Amino acid sequence: MHEREFLNQLSGESRYLRFHKWVNAPSDKLVHFLTDVDYDKHMAFVCTALDGDAERVVGEARYVADLNGKNCEFGIIIADPWHKTGIAGLLMEALISTARERGLATMEGVVLTSNATMIRFARGLGFEVQPVANDPTTRRIVKKL
Amino acid sequence: MRKIWLDSYPEGVPPEIDARAYPSLKDLLESSCLHFREKTAFTNMGVALTYGELDRLSRDFGAYLQNGFGLRKADRVAIMLPNLLQYPVALFGALRAGITVVNVNPLYTVNELEYQLADSGASAIVVLENFAHTLELALPNTRVRHVVTTQLGDLFPRPKRWLVNFVVKHVKHMVPRWRIPGAKSFREALSQGKQSAFEEISLGPGDIAFLQYTGGTTGRAKGAILTHGNMVANVEQTAAWIGATLKEGEETIVTALPLYHVFALTANLLVFLKLGGNDVLITNPRDIAGFVTELAKTRFTAITGVNTLFNALLDAEGFDQVGIAERGVLKLAVAGGMALQRSVAERWRQTMGVPLLEGYGLTEAAPSVCSTPFDAKEFSGKLGLPLPSTEVAIRDDGGNDVPLGETGEICVRGPQVMRGYWNAPDETATAFWPDGWLRTGDIGWMDQRGFVTFTDRRKDVIVVSGFKAYPTEIEDVAMLHPGVKDAGAVGVPDEHSGEAVALFVVRKDPGLTAAALLDHCAKHLTGYKRPKRIEFREHLPKTPIGKVLRRQLKAEATLTRG
Repeated sequence: MHEREFLNQLSGESRYLRFHKWVNAPSDKLVHFLTDVDYDKHMAFVCTALDGDAERVVGEARYVADLNGKNCEFGIIIADPWHKTGIAGLLMEALISTARERGLATMEGVVLTSNATMIRFARGLGFEVQPVANDPTTRRIVKKL
Repeated sequence: MRKIWLDSYPEGVPPEIDARAYPSLKDLLESSCLHFREKTAFTNMGVALTYGELDRLSRDFGAYLQNGFGLRKADRVAIMLPNLLQYPVALFGALRAGITVVNVNPLYTVNELEYQLADSGASAIVVLENFAHTLELALPNTRVRHVVTTQLGDLFPRPKRWLVNFVVKHVKHMVPRWRIPGAKSFREALSQGKQSAFEEISLGPGDIAFLQYTGGTTGRAKGAILTHGNMVANVEQTAAWIGATLKEGEETIVTALPLYHVFALTANLLVFLKLGGNDVLITNPRDIAGFVTELAKTRFTAITGVNTLFNALLDAEGFDQVGIAERGVLKLAVAGGMALQRSVAERWRQTMGVPLLEGYGLTEAAPSVCSTPFDAKEFSGKLGLPLPSTEVAIRDDGGNDVPLGETGEICVRGPQVMRGYWNAPDETATAFWPDGWLRTGDIGWMDQRGFVTFTDRRKDVIVVSGFKAYPTEIEDVAMLHPGVKDAGAVGVPDEHSGEAVALFVVRKDPGLTAAALLDHCAKHLTGYKRPKRIEFREHLPKTPIGKVLRRQLKAEATLTRG
């Protein structure tokens, strides 16, 4: 429920940057995937804030590990009004240290080349930015854990 | 950085132009109307409009905008017309009154039109009656208070005017029913304008001439702010490039590309206005047979187009006869907007006897940035050299120049570069490097002689016959259909339009057909944005974390095409 609400209030731009495509209303399947966290191969951290009496998700970061459990891909979204508040850094810190504890060797992500903010942020966290063969529209970002 | 391309300039092309040759487009217009008064400025369907008449009619129209509608400097007026004599009259009427022009694609759907009118804040619009039914539905959610409608033949002499207007309406039924209370007819506006005083407006290079809309990555078009200074600069740059081949007051150019697109607007209408040329307006170039008949009757010295159009002409019956008649007459042919194919360039040269030059540009640069030199002997497959007073740099993701010959983003600096996007400070900020260079989003490299070659795009954008379509907008529309669960749009190579839209769809309703979905898309998207192909899939390829793999879709679409 919180997850759907969170996705719904994001701007089209934020959803595009996260999913690399247009997402109108998040489908049941997407919400199911995002909430089906097993704390092992699929790990997620959320940041919530109190809005009156209601607790709302304002940011989330997650990784999904590959089958051999060596590497993982991560994704992060922050609610538009919470950009530049530092919560992205906190979420990533938690995500990276958990991945390390689980024995994962690398964390990587695919970022739109035009998403300069994310690329700058990832560099700051020690990710290496690499070109993707035959695809100048995206960059691969990788960090050894 | 040294401008290495200057060494490759053909003789006679200056390295710099005077970007302040005219303070504004109004001064450019007035200068040409004074010098070429008796000469033909525009021709449409055999009817000519002289520079003197253009001067008078545009003044009348400007006076009506001022007095009839009460429009003031910096107000916005939208022009929703195909290539007709009314276009330059409305355009210069607005510009000389200091009013900003918002060009609108007449084939826009209601949603597209509504968005552009609302975003630009246009308070008036000039529309061809054939499209008034679309406007009627879009109006309520905009700030448009004044509407001028025109009929196709409104500037033709009697009885041709009556005949054309009658046939369009009652024989061909090309005017769907519409009702807009208070709409003023174009002819009435002209006659009332004539009886009122035109207030001279002082304009300078910094005043805004156009909000020229172009697609945006997140599905909404953005208005590039093009000032009078930007436009004058690009006119001077283009004229300096091709000037040696042309003579003032003696040229006839064929304008088949729509004037609401910045390429024809600058390269045809404004450049040939400066040169005192006759601009032959083709209203419906899709009617290739009619277009060839028109060309057979016209001795033209210049023509512009896109690859798609030149290809269609070369394939058309009777065009070889035009080629024979044009030998020694035609001096200049320019292709812009999209990549030119070698086969088209070579066939053109054989048929017409002159090479097809390539121009490269973008709305944000008014538009021309590079062009192949007019003395080019053969097809190069390159974008060409930067125009006079234009700098091109190839930069990496960090904004640093890459070594010569290496690939990076093509960046531009020059007096033709826009000020920014209308009401979109974030988009504007990401379009420029902090040192003022415009980021084109195109990837390419520059060789030792300064020639730029395009290789790819940095953003998800599909270029269809020179028009930019963004996948997000197409996906947004597709997913509005209740039978669609997920959709991904990509560009695929297309022999006619360069690229075409392919749409991958995951169905919610197993009974959904491609035809039904195409119908749905046609209601919301103008022609070039519509998918040419729809493929149904069980799911879209995604990374483990759920990001769609657009390049994989593109590769699949390219493999299975045909």
